[in-house]
Amino acid sequence: MSNMIIDKDGVRRYVVSITVNGDEYTKMVKSNTLLVNFLRDALDLTGTKKGCELGDCGSCTVLLDGKTPINSCLMLAVEADGREFITVEGVASHEKLDHIQEKFIEHGALQCGYCTPGMILSAKALLTRNPKPTEHEVREAIAGNLCRCTGYINIIKAIMDASGQEIPM
Amino acid sequence: MSEKNFNVIGKGKPRYDGRVKVTGAAKYCGDLKFPNMLYGKMLGSPYAHAKILSIDTSEAMKIPGVKAVITAKDVPSLKYGISPARWDENCLCIEKALFVGDKVAAVACVDEETCYKALKAIKVEYEVLKPVLDYMHADEDDMPQIHEKYAKNINTEIHQEFGDIKKAFAEAHYVRTDTFVGQRCYQCPIEPHSAVCIWQDNKLTVYSSTQSVHYFQHYIAREFELPMGDVRVIAPFVGGGFGGKLEPTGLEFNGAALSRITGRPVKMFYDRQEMFQHNRGRHQGTYKITSGVDKDGKILGCHVDFQTDGGAYTSLGIATAYYAGALLPLTYEIPVYKFDNRRMYTNLPACGAHRGHGAPQPKYAFESHMDNIAKAMGIDPLDIRLRNARRPNTETVNNFKVNSCGMKECLERAGELSDWRKKKKEGLPKGRGIGISTGSFVTGAGYPIYRTDLPHASCMIRVHEDGTSATLYSGTVDIGQGSHTILCQMAAEAMGYRYENMKMVASDTETCPLDFGAYASRQTLMSGSAVKQAGEEIYRQIIDMASTMLNLPPEDLKCELGVISSISRPKVAPITFEEVARRFFVLRGPLIAKGVYTPPRLGGTFKGAPVGTSPAYSFCVQAAEVQIDEETGKIDVERVWDVHDVGQVINPVNLHGQVHGALYMGLGETIWEQVHFDSNGKIVNGNLGGYMIMTALDMPPITSEVLEDSYEIAGPWGAKEVGEGATNPTIGAFRNAIFDAMGVSVNSVPLTYEKVWRALKEKRESENK
Amino acid sequence: MYLPDFEYYAPDSIAEACKLLSQFGPRAKVLAGGTDLIAKMKNEVLKPEILISIKKLDQMKKIEYVPGKGVVIGARSTHNDLVNSKVLNEKYLSISEAAHQMAANQVRNAGTVGGNISNAVPSADLPPIFIALNAAVKVTGVKGERSLALEDVFAGPGKTNLTQDEIITEVIIPDQKMTGSNYIKFGLRGAGALAVVGVAVAVQVENNVIKDARVALGAVAATPVRAKKTEEFLKGKKVSDEVLAEAGVIASGECKPISDVRASAEYRTDMVRVFTKRALRAAIDKGHV
Repeated sequence: MSNMIIDKDGVRRYVVSITVNGDEYTKMVKSNTLLVNFLRDALDLTGTKKGCELGDCGSCTVLLDGKTPINSCLMLAVEADGREFITVEGVASHEKLDHIQEKFIEHGALQCGYCTPGMILSAKALLTRNPKPTEHEVREAIAGNLCRCTGYINIIKAIMDASGQEIPM
Repeated sequence: MSEKNFNVIGKGKPRYDGRVKVTGAAKYCGDLKFPNMLYGKMLGSPYAHAKILSIDTSEAMKIPGVKAVITAKDVPSLKYGISPARWDENCLCIEKALFVGDKVAAVACVDEETCYKALKAIKVEYEVLKPVLDYMHADEDDMPQIHEKYAKNINTEIHQEFGDIKKAFAEAHYVRTDTFVGQRCYQCPIEPHSAVCIWQDNKLTVYSSTQSVHYFQHYIAREFELPMGDVRVIAPFVGGGFGGKLEPTGLEFNGAALSRITGRPVKMFYDRQEMFQHNRGRHQGTYKITSGVDKDGKILGCHVDFQTDGGAYTSLGIATAYYAGALLPLTYEIPVYKFDNRRMYTNLPACGAHRGHGAPQPKYAFESHMDNIAKAMGIDPLDIRLRNARRPNTETVNNFKVNSCGMKECLERAGELSDWRKKKKEGLPKGRGIGISTGSFVTGAGYPIYRTDLPHASCMIRVHEDGTSATLYSGTVDIGQGSHTILCQMAAEAMGYRYENMKMVASDTETCPLDFGAYASRQTLMSGSAVKQAGEEIYRQIIDMASTMLNLPPEDLKCELGVISSISRPKVAPITFEEVARRFFVLRGPLIAKGVYTPPRLGGTFKGAPVGTSPAYSFCVQAAEVQIDEETGKIDVERVWDVHDVGQVINPVNLHGQVHGALYMGLGETIWEQVHFDSNGKIVNGNLGGYMIMTALDMPPITSEVLEDSYEIAGPWGAKEVGEGATNPTIGAFRNAIFDAMGVSVNSVPLTYEKVWRALKEKRESENK
Repeated sequence: MYLPDFEYYAPDSIAEACKLLSQFGPRAKVLAGGTDLIAKMKNEVLKPEILISIKKLDQMKKIEYVPGKGVVIGARSTHNDLVNSKVLNEKYLSISEAAHQMAANQVRNAGTVGGNISNAVPSADLPPIFIALNAAVKVTGVKGERSLALEDVFAGPGKTNLTQDEIITEVIIPDQKMTGSNYIKFGLRGAGALAVVGVAVAVQVENNVIKDARVALGAVAATPVRAKKTEEFLKGKKVSDEVLAEAGVIASGECKPISDVRASAEYRTDMVRVFTKRALRAAIDKGHV
């Protein structure tokens, strides 16, 4: 492989170019470098959280190709080579919060905040794909994002409100 | 009744930390980096009970990037624990490992990956001992003794009797005994624990995902024999605690030792499985309850007899053991009460303070027992509760003074909201049932965790030189419950200022005055009382200054939302807080104030009397309606109603969020959550796929209401707790709803689909006989 | 957590991938979505020394109808590709529905069809519905291609009958006479839970008579299994609640579940009875395959 070097200890290191929030980063990674660690350690984008590291909690959710939520704890950085991602740091633009972020604050849809980045990205992906989701579709879209504080109620309200629909419950 | 013309409190102000949390800018402990920082991890025992014969660290030390490997000989041997009555835990195990995951060695390396390689290279020779895994048999003769000092593996034994229980039963119209069994649950905050320790120039700084910077400072200083002033503990953003982050862990102690040895900052962290092993979650127990009632179902006496599984160490378990029985006489007036409890040591992860500390499982047993009595006597479950409901301004049999108490009103309102009477009269469709249950919780513990005469809460407020902002300095910790928000609201209300201009410096032992932190639902009342005092001091100073500026008497001035005006002369042009504050600074120097709070002396004099004392108690009722799938036992939750007496509400958005969250955790424990072990004491579901906390698809609709006119004399502006009380009634409400729907009692939690299925199957089989 | 070291290859062709797999033998594993493999490597359940990524093999991502062959699902299709596929929504909605039940959104966006089959997890959600619809898989190895019935892929938990060099490239759903199909996953929470029992059925019903039936059970044996006695029983029967109930009873006798922390064998056995009955009813009433 052309984009690989073997260092003096015999460890293979790969050059990857990964676009995050519109900026392309070219870095060396090992085969076992996970995307979540690439984001947090190499780019210091610590809004992407580690909660379970096994794809169960969704704290590390990022948007692949700007629209598809995936768990970055299960993706290798080498697999992400050449791809584009949006992390929570890329949701607000120019100091202006995204509508979803505003609604999260308004409805008290966050408490400890640890699941919030992943939750917001899942919500963002949902409303991009389906601007008027039903309450069940909202629940379904965030079912891979575990929250231990809110009981989800205010999160569901915030997302429904962000979609301009009646607030359930 | 209180004057309700508030400007800042009682309003759903947006969270203080909302913006940084929705943008991902908030830094949690695991997000921190320092120059030259190392990464550290601990090696856990693979055995539940084992003698450590030898540890060979030489291979690990040879790995490039490994900077230090430590074992028990490299760390203080002073035993620690959060509860001073039983210090029984070491930084690293000295002779024996007492549960799977117990701390055996620790490493510090240049990166995370190297830590895992180093751990694998440490060779430990164990002599595997028979483990004690069943708390109900832990005291038997053939069981090994886990701790030298504690015979028969009894960690705590409680025997309290208030009144003559034999006489009460003898005089009762009906006496009944029921036994219920609880399970092990884990708090499971989404943020894993981590700690960054920096030992430099004989001073130790610890960043930690903690609920209490003060207790961490106290115990870390004690362990390393440092003056408190040389230990600085800072809690950055904390990703949930629920009790599990109240006590220091091996991360802080071993991280500090590793930092001292390497001279570099060390970041220690648990992964999810290690969090489950560290645990400090809900105790499981077996709860036997006997009550005698008169012919109307009025309780004459209760005897509760519990045995609980404490795991390998004490943690906060002594308090848990007392709480288990102490809080039961709160919601109902129990005139005669006997409480026995034994907390057992086992070779399983240590249990501690889990939201609702000690109360939810005994409450499940008690509320189920109440419904059994009601059913046997033909009394409506709501009525038996109304007949026994606690009244305000009373004292419990175990000497807890209750001021405000809307127990009866909560019951009535929950009955109305859930349409209880109509449903009971007309009946529900097949498979449908409704249950009701009560709860209550302390608003802050009456006594500190370790014995001290320090005040429980204190704070300072400093108004900026030009008056355009004010900073609240407080040792409180916002673990997600929103305390920063409501404390800033309280400060602004007391100061006559605006919430939006408040800033907060918190959770840092060096820059903030002491506060015991986030546990026992204490910060609203206790920290809030200190904040109110400080805010009122600022108010007085502002009014005093304005009085000289306007040449009006201070009693004629008022300050609201940063505007100072004359009460009697509406035509006098108002002046702003900013103008006055600036003038104050020019003439008198910094505009500062302090507040301090110590609870009054509370409780009785008997052994264990302090546990459960509190300046105030919340009360709540939950009703739950379920639909049971008769063939599968699946429980579909139609709706839950929660009615709360929380005193004056400070922030309704936060408040209902707390109810939702507590109910969510309670419901998780009710149906889904249980930590499972294999026959060797190893956790088999220590991950978020196997340990099933509810997803958004599982959360039922909730109606959350508060009693509007409740006022608590002991609380700031009449406020009391909400965050933990709502976990209290949940399990009982669901057990009772299933009981109502299907006529079967599931006598152990979680109330899994399979257990409901089995109960129904057994019922059918017995009916067919 | 820590992902142990491994060598990584991302070949440009299936042939090259097979060659690498052949060359490295059991030390190598195919990496597709990673949702199962990476998690198992972190837990050290699997310890491959070499990962062969198939990310460049875009020809394995198609879902299309090929006349004379059937619906061809590329093995690299993700579960959400199945959920959103127009072809499947029109022809085999039950497959889209089963894919939707597999896991939460993030996992469905990464986990692939080939992975869900070749991991050979007994509780996997796609194999039962594929088996019920008589699906075959195309596998490619160094010696070329072959196809085998999906139910013949599995050898035991985590074990398949594929050789080390073989990769599943396609799942083929043949044209069929079945008039209805359905998959019910019974898990213990709304998302992110493995099936305690999974039941898939396909039926051909004409004039209220069951002409043909296939029943496949997941999570109740070492591999997904056909309930062949149940199928035989159903053939030629007039649809009635009694017949479907009886079918459930027969099916519950055809599974060999284990007890674990999620459910006892006894409960699983009875749930096979309940959900076979319910899946049959739904397949008959819903009127789509």
